[in-house]
Amino acid sequence: MKKITLSLFLLMQGFMIRAQSNQPLQSKLDQQAKEIEPKLIEWRRYFHANPELSNRETKTGARIAEQLRALGMEVQYPVAKTGVVGILKGGKPGPVVGLRADIDALPVTERNSLPYASKVKDSFNGMETGVMHACGHDGHMSILLGVAEILSKNRNELKGTVKFIFQPAEEGAPPGEEGGAYLMIKEGVLENPKVDVMFGLHLQSLVPLGTLAYKPEGLMAAVDNVNIMVIGRGAHGATPWDSIDPIVIGSQIVLGLQTIVSRQTELTKAAAVITIGSMHAGIRRNIIPETATLEGTIRTFDADMQQKVHDKIRTTAVNIAQSSGATAEVEIVKLYPVTFNDPLLTRKMAPSLERVVGKENAKVVAPVTMAEDFSFFQQKVPGLFFFVGAYPANMKLTAQPTHHTADFMIDEGCLVIGVRSLLALTTDYMNQTQLPKTK
Amino acid sequence: MKLTAILFFATVLSVQAQVPAKLQTKLDAQANEVESKVIEWRRHFHQYPELSNRETKTGEYIAAYLKSLGLEVQHPVAKTGVVAILRTGKQGPVIGLRADIDALPVTERNSLPFASKEKVIYNGQETGVMHACGHDSHTAILMGVATVLVKNKAELKGTIKFFFQPAEEGAPVGEEGGAALMIKEGVLENPKVDVVFGMHISSMTPLGMITYRPGGLLAASDTYSITVHGRQAHGSAPWMGVDPIVISAQIINGLQTIISRQSELTKEAAVITVGRIQSGIRENIIPEEAFMAGTIRTLDTDMQEKIHEKIKLTATKIAESAGATADVVIRRGYPVTYNDPALTEKMAPSLERAAGKEKTLRIHASTGAEDFSFFQQKVPGLFFFVGALPPGQDPAKAPSHHTPDFMIDEKGFITGIKAMLNVTTDYMFMPAK
Repeated sequence: MKKITLSLFLLMQGFMIRAQSNQPLQSKLDQQAKEIEPKLIEWRRYFHANPELSNRETKTGARIAEQLRALGMEVQYPVAKTGVVGILKGGKPGPVVGLRADIDALPVTERNSLPYASKVKDSFNGMETGVMHACGHDGHMSILLGVAEILSKNRNELKGTVKFIFQPAEEGAPPGEEGGAYLMIKEGVLENPKVDVMFGLHLQSLVPLGTLAYKPEGLMAAVDNVNIMVIGRGAHGATPWDSIDPIVIGSQIVLGLQTIVSRQTELTKAAAVITIGSMHAGIRRNIIPETATLEGTIRTFDADMQQKVHDKIRTTAVNIAQSSGATAEVEIVKLYPVTFNDPLLTRKMAPSLERVVGKENAKVVAPVTMAEDFSFFQQKVPGLFFFVGAYPANMKLTAQPTHHTADFMIDEGCLVIGVRSLLALTTDYMNQTQLPKTK
Repeated sequence: MKLTAILFFATVLSVQAQVPAKLQTKLDAQANEVESKVIEWRRHFHQYPELSNRETKTGEYIAAYLKSLGLEVQHPVAKTGVVAILRTGKQGPVIGLRADIDALPVTERNSLPFASKEKVIYNGQETGVMHACGHDSHTAILMGVATVLVKNKAELKGTIKFFFQPAEEGAPVGEEGGAALMIKEGVLENPKVDVVFGMHISSMTPLGMITYRPGGLLAASDTYSITVHGRQAHGSAPWMGVDPIVISAQIINGLQTIISRQSELTKEAAVITVGRIQSGIRENIIPEEAFMAGTIRTLDTDMQEKIHEKIKLTATKIAESAGATADVVIRRGYPVTYNDPALTEKMAPSLERAAGKEKTLRIHASTGAEDFSFFQQKVPGLFFFVGALPPGQDPAKAPSHHTPDFMIDEKGFITGIKAMLNVTTDYMFMPAK
């Protein structure tokens, strides 16, 4: 009863708290965003032609730092290896808004005939590979640089401070290295001044141009790694009775793990995924090996469910192994948390997104099982992460290459929409600080 | 090392008939003489079959005949069975010869003049009754063997016990019966039996052939049941429950890997069958429990023990892996029909003399079961098959035992009579240990 009253109250309040848009400023910002579009495209193409792998974004970081300095703001560089933080103090008091763009590229060899296609090659895991901005981070940088330039021009009218956080290694640091959002936070980017709210976006090649997509609460999954070692007993392949066969037992575990999702997890609350992506055992067809190694990824959208799924994975693997006389060692490595959009903040900021693309084009979407290390920021401060539609208008959705592939492509028309979105969120948030802060 | 073993083997194989040649010739001739009576008896039993533990008239018929031979007869034993004792008065072993006497709830489907017209109520259903497993011929053959042996009493040694055993197919629910009950009632004592021989007619083995195997010939047959205790929930919300059906499916797969991965199949075959699974009442209710039952067939006592343990481990741990529990109950049925290897080697020449060396074959084990095994648990025993497939018929197409079309060729009986006589007299005249 109490709960209902409280949430109703919050809901009402949420609806009443409208983003406070300052009409004249807003019109000016929109106009300036339009004007800056050629530069956005130019910057994005530069980054696209010069991609750098995670934690190796040396030239990228240097260029961003240089560009921010030229705007006359305080710049911290390098942060978290190759990252950049720019601090823009507005002319009026107000909250500290963090805006984040990720800056790393992927070990993917670009396959298209764009004049600015990447020709960069690098070594990854000991293999030579092309390097490509195959996830759209080039666009994210360009957008955030555009936002920085426009807000710098209007700093006197800003009610508060903006931190521009250009984050390396979103795709994951190389083995043995720290990196990404986690390392930036560890190095203190959320302090001095203390950040009150975080906004971030991701271009989405599968969302139509002109659409903004978001959802309150879990938008992108928590990703954890699971490693299972089944320890059996080796034998000749012809005499399985002398063995404890880790391959057959491993297979039973793979199937058993699927029933955690299908039978033991409250899927109406949130989806969950357990994928065994690698199973390695043995060296030769007629030798039953001693061990089998299963590696997988776990995707969840709810911290409680995440914990339960972890526990059940252990119970399932250990007991199925024992059922055949083997043992199983289960290791779960937590990677990225849930990209969790603070519900109250999301409700409060939705009108800002709606204003940018029109109410009918600001859509609440289903969660996706990909992960995003923006979630580390959201663990510390309320944050909103959203998708900016970027699929080329002249392409069929079914033909649209997905992120992380050699054919990945965006329509550069998304850049100005990204700029306008972040401008709207930042200034609207600043304009309503007289209201109680969320959380 | 191995060579030595082969040499030893060769010595064993060279052991020849122990019975005096003259007696052997006479026995063979008398076997041929009794054949027509054996066929006559068999047709009588075939026409008037009786179900397990209900072999009243059969038992009386057998007892009356054995008494007429002048044998010491105990009747009834183990409900409807008959034991007859032939004491020669001379020093020698006590040999048990066994025939089973019960029929099956099968409605005969053929036009034999002596086809069964019997009908009974079985498990609440009306059914025909038929000697659809050939026990009629076992009974008749053993009566023939008794007839011949009695005639030659003066030349024999030791003691022969004839066991006409009821309920080999299994006593009705709640009743004791069969070999286990005969043993319980003391048939292996007074005098104490040293060795036991038994045979089974086989509709799928060519006429005139004898088949056998040292070690496990027929499987131990145990039954088990597994109850998986989950938690009931609506079918739309499996996360609220613990689903015993999905867990049972995993257990069924797991049980198969006990055979495929954990049992030494070159030593002996083994079978775990889930013959029955019951759970739930309605499509959208996840039930609280699932019940599975099945049969376990093993040919080796050690393997049998191990498989029982593994079934318990597999079911309980897989259940626990998904948050359920499993109760496993294993009920022992018939043990392995285990032919004592030394005895089998010793008696192989006797079988070869009955059927001819080329028609006496060592065969693979069969996963059927036989309660002769209870005798073999107590004393060394040899069980073998006697072929009765009508000539010209494809063994693969012969109607199998326990079916309405089951048919045997009576010309196979003579091989059975001779084989039983040979193993008896050869064993009798073997030098004492």
